[in-house]
Amino acid sequence: MKKNLLAVLLPVIFFSCKEPEKKPAGNDIPTKTDATVKVLPPVSNYTNPDRSPMDMVYFPTDYPLLKMTGKTTTLPLMRIIYSRPQKQGRQIFGGLVQYDVPWRLGANESTEMRIIYSRPQKQGRQIFGGLVQYDVPWRLGANESTEIEFFSPATVAGKTVKPGRYILYCIPQETKWTFVLNSNLYSWGLEQNRQKDLMQFEVPVEKTSLAIEYFTIACEKKSDKSTALIFLWDDVKAKLPVSF
Amino acid sequence: MRKTSLLVCLLVSFLFSFSQPSKLPEVDKSPMDVSYYPNNYPILKIQNKATEPLVARILYSRPQKQGRKIFGELVEYGNVWRLGANEATEIEFYKDVKIGGKKVPKGRYTLYAIVSENVWTMILNKDTDTWGAFKYDSKKDVLRTDVPVQKTDEVVESMSMLFEKSATGISLIIAWEQVKVTLPITL
Repeated sequence: MKKNLLAVLLPVIFFSCKEPEKKPAGNDIPTKTDATVKVLPPVSNYTNPDRSPMDMVYFPTDYPLLKMTGKTTTLPLMRIIYSRPQKQGRQIFGGLVQYDVPWRLGANESTEMRIIYSRPQKQGRQIFGGLVQYDVPWRLGANESTEIEFFSPATVAGKTVKPGRYILYCIPQETKWTFVLNSNLYSWGLEQNRQKDLMQFEVPVEKTSLAIEYFTIACEKKSDKSTALIFLWDDVKAKLPVSF
Repeated sequence: MRKTSLLVCLLVSFLFSFSQPSKLPEVDKSPMDVSYYPNNYPILKIQNKATEPLVARILYSRPQKQGRKIFGELVEYGNVWRLGANEATEIEFYKDVKIGGKKVPKGRYTLYAIVSENVWTMILNKDTDTWGAFKYDSKKDVLRTDVPVQKTDEVVESMSMLFEKSATGISLIIAWEQVKVTLPITL
């Protein structure tokens, strides 16, 4: 009985404690010399939902519900589609998500892969020690770059943005995040095409008192035409003001 | 010593998992997912392996079977269904296509279905960004087309959608429980 319990909890323990002497049980550990992205198997079978599930945020918040219940007759102003990685006891900012390296504001698998593949020598070792060992094979599904769509002209952190669909990613640092709007749509979040950057917004970060398990994007409403997009994960919170 | 450190780790991980403030959105139990044609287009794109342009994308929420009987019960025969959970399912075409012999201009649409035992009526509708099928308005229909129901051998736990190449273009495959339908899309 006790043994069973331990077997169930073992993965949890491994996630929270770094025990470098443990060898990985999985068969899908990327090697440090790999220079390319892992090739995925074809989608021949029905896949399970992704472990970093996709989610969608509207402004006005819950727009589809408001529309369905007849509480709004206007068009939505903004929509964000992103994937939600989990903290799982790991250190996120400055650890899994490195400072000064573009981050796709989303799923963890890609962030890990990005570091393994594109910067093998130094950062691979530094970051992963124990972590990569417990990584699961990369699933098909929702690990695209975070997508933001404005349905009308917007002002983001003081800058004018035309209506349309963009990729949103950020470069996190300890005290500030630089958000970047990019035009390279429908691309996997593993690497950003910096030549397609359109504009940048620098915002300070705050610390939260509690650690947030799932990466979360939400709208903090200021008025009918004004909101702050909040980005929360671990004990870090970043705010991006948007008005219409 | 070792035991203690395990215990501490355990405690810490439990604390983390229960420490979310309640006003933030929880992860949905019918998580959203996306399928593209070409399959895995975003990955192919960053690998420079995309040989065809992007044609279609479907955004839907994936309810789970969880031991329930789905078709004929949870999803009733004869009613308009949102083809998933939560927000109505959205399909976007990046070029003009044809469905059921009718031209569909590129753009975003909502995809509904009326299910029955042997045939599903697929409905393409212009009213996007909506919740469920509660406010479904047939006046905004672009087209309706009937597709036959096939049976799968295995039980599909999570409702699934994917695109496949076909002789005349692509097919949208929809599967849940032991039911599978194929919606032909002509390019």
